[in-house]
Amino acid sequence: MNKLDFYLFHLMPYPYIPPGEEIESTWVTLPNSHYDPKVGHRLYNEYLEQLIAGERLGYDGLCVNEHHQNAYGTMPSPDIMASYLIAKTERIPIGVIGNALPLHANPVRVAEEIAMLDVISGGRIISGFVRGTGMEYYSYAANPSHSQERFWEAHDLIIRAWTEPGPFAWQGKHFRLPYVNPWPRPLQQPHPPVWLPGSGSMETIKKAAERRYPFMMVFAPQWFTKANYDMYRRAAEEAGYEASPKQLAAAIPTYVAETEEQAHREAKPHMMWLFQNGLKIPPYHWFPPGYTSKKSFAGMLGAKVKHNMKDHWDLTYEELLEERYIIVGSPETVIERLTEFTDDLGAGIVLGAGGHMGSMPHWLVMKNTYLMAEEVIPHFREPDGKPSYARAEPLGTRTLTEHAATVGEPELQPVARLNGSLVETQRAYLEELAET
Amino acid sequence: MVNGPATATVPRPHHFYTEPEWLDVGDVRVAYRRKGTGEPTLYLHGAGMTRMWLPHLEALSERVDVIAPEHPGYGETEMPEWLDGFEDLVIHYDELLDVLGLDRVHLVGYSLGGWLAAEFASFYPRRLKSLTLMVPAGLRIPGKPIPNPVAMMPDQFLDLIFNDKANMHQVAPDFEDFDEIVHLYGEGATLARLAWDVQYNLALERRLRRVTCPTLVVRAAEDRLICDEMAERYAELLPNARIETIPGTGHALAFEQPDKVATAIADFIEEASTR
Repeated sequence: MNKLDFYLFHLMPYPYIPPGEEIESTWVTLPNSHYDPKVGHRLYNEYLEQLIAGERLGYDGLCVNEHHQNAYGTMPSPDIMASYLIAKTERIPIGVIGNALPLHANPVRVAEEIAMLDVISGGRIISGFVRGTGMEYYSYAANPSHSQERFWEAHDLIIRAWTEPGPFAWQGKHFRLPYVNPWPRPLQQPHPPVWLPGSGSMETIKKAAERRYPFMMVFAPQWFTKANYDMYRRAAEEAGYEASPKQLAAAIPTYVAETEEQAHREAKPHMMWLFQNGLKIPPYHWFPPGYTSKKSFAGMLGAKVKHNMKDHWDLTYEELLEERYIIVGSPETVIERLTEFTDDLGAGIVLGAGGHMGSMPHWLVMKNTYLMAEEVIPHFREPDGKPSYARAEPLGTRTLTEHAATVGEPELQPVARLNGSLVETQRAYLEELAET
Repeated sequence: MVNGPATATVPRPHHFYTEPEWLDVGDVRVAYRRKGTGEPTLYLHGAGMTRMWLPHLEALSERVDVIAPEHPGYGETEMPEWLDGFEDLVIHYDELLDVLGLDRVHLVGYSLGGWLAAEFASFYPRRLKSLTLMVPAGLRIPGKPIPNPVAMMPDQFLDLIFNDKANMHQVAPDFEDFDEIVHLYGEGATLARLAWDVQYNLALERRLRRVTCPTLVVRAAEDRLICDEMAERYAELLPNARIETIPGTGHALAFEQPDKVATAIADFIEEASTR
C-alpha cells in the first residue's frame, strides 16, 4: 500500500477581480460583469489540461467540486467537469468532491449523474457529498435551517437508489418521490466510494466514521485537522473498528520548486491571492442561521476566540506556512511537511499537492505538478512507484474482445413482434430468424 | 402558572428585561408577559428585541390588556423541532388563545409579527375583534425585496433598523457578548425556518379578503428596512383597513416612538371595540 495518495484538485477560480480589501466578498455579491467569457474560455481549457496531465504524471486521482455564483471556484456543475475528464483520461479515478446535496431539488438527479459517470468511465468515480458552504445558501436561496436534514435525507436516498432495486417509493420529509428507479445503476458495487469533504461538525464526523467514509479537511490549520481526525478515530473505535489512513484526507495547497527560495518566490503571490481574495468572505456569509446547530456554532465560535483564529483573508503568508494551511518549499521540505501529515496525524490522502492554486499561470502549475510527481510523490510510494489504482484490475472492459470474453450476452435480448411473432431484433437480419 | 424550562440558559438583555410567566401550549413551554386591563390584545413581536418589556407595551398596557408571548424559537421559548413555517405558528396561536380562554381578541403584530398576524387573520378571521399591523413584512413588492438581516454586518443592520442612534444601545443586541451571539444565531435559525426561502407569501394576496375586521396598518415615516408600498399593498388587500404613519422614526418605531405608537393602537382598539 502506498503511504500517501496524491489527488490533483482544482477549484477553477476566476482570479481577474478587484482586490479583496475593496470588495464585500468574492462570493454571492461580486458582480459577474467582472467575468469575461473569453478569458473564461482560456481558463477552463488550461485548467482541464492541468488535471488531465495528472494521469500521465502518476497522480492517484483528479478532483473537481461544486460552488455557485463566485470567483473562487467556477464549477457550478462538477459532474460536467468530471464528464470531460473521463473522456480525456484512461484509468485514473475522478473524484467529484462533491455534489452539494441540500442545494438541489431532487437527489435522484445526483444518483443518476454519478451513475452515468461511473458506467461511462468503467467505475472510476468517487462520489463526494457536501452540504455546500454557507455562501451557497445565500446564492441559491436554499434554506440553511434544513441543510443538515436535507443532506442526510438526500444521502440516504441516493445510497438506497444505488443499492436497492427500483422502483420504490421514498417517503421522506424533504423528498417525497413515489418512483425512485434511476437508470443507469452504478458500475461499482455496491456503489461508488463516498467521501465527505468539509470542516465537519461533531455530528457529521461521527456519521462519516460510522459509515467508514473518508473524511477530508479543507484549508485548515494543522492542529484543527488533528483535532477532527482524533474525533473521527474515536468515533470509528466506538463503531468497533480502527480507522485506516485512507479514511483521513486533507486539502493542503502545496507547491514545490528547485530550492526554498525559488519555491517561495513562485508560490507566495498566488497563495496570497487564494487566501486574500478567493476566500474574502464576510463572517455572516460563512454561517447562515441554522446551517449548524446552536451547540456546534457555540463550539466553533468558542474555538475561534480561544485559539485566536484569524479569518482566511487575514492570514499572513508566514502564518499560512506556520499553521500548515499551505506547504511551500524544496522537495526535501515538502516531503518533511507531508510526513507530518502521514506520521503525526495519520492521514493517507492529500489533495492539492501539485497542481493549481490561486491565480497561478499555466506554466507554473505544470512545473509544480511535474516536480511534485518526480521529486516528492515517489517518496510516499511502494518501490514500483505505481499509483494506488494501478494495483487493482479496472472494472470496465477497454476492448470489445475483452467485453465479449468476460461479460458475454445480456440477460435479455431486445425483441420486436414481426409478422406475428417475437423476434430477436439483433439477429433479425438473418432471413430464417426474421421469418419465423 | 407553570415553571420555566429546565434548560433556562438564555442570556438576559441589559435593559427592559422582565421575568416572564410561563404557559404550556401543546408541547411548547411559552414565555410570555401580560399586563393591563380591558380589551384583550395579543401582541406578536418581530424578529428581534426579544426578552424585553418595551416602553410601547407598557404604554399600551395602561389602556388594554396586553398579552405578549415569545414565539417558539424566540426569546426564552425554545424552538420545537416541528416548527417549519408560518402555518405552524398560526395554529400555535390559535391554541394559545384557547389555553388563555380567550375567544376573540385584538391582534397586534410588529414587523415579522405583522406578517404572522396577517397570516393568523387569514386563517382565523372570526377570532379577531381588530387587527393592527406595525411595519409588517409578508407581501411581494416587486423590485423592493426586504434586505436579509443576516446578509450584512451587525452594525450595518442596526444602522438600517434604528434612526435614534443615541439610544439604540438600550435595546440593540450586544454583539460583544458570546452567549448573546449564540442565542441570536438560534433566533436566526427560527427566522430561517419561517422566511429564508419564502420571503413573501403570495397566497396572502388572495386570502386577506377574508379579514373583514377593522384593520390598522402602522407605517414609519422613515423606515429603511421595509418600503412604504408594503403598508399600501396591505391596505389595498384588506377590506377594512386604513394606514397611519408615525413621523420621526423608522423600523424601530416601537422603541423610538413608544407613546405615539401606543396611542395610535389604543385609540384604534377603542374605536373598534365600541363600534
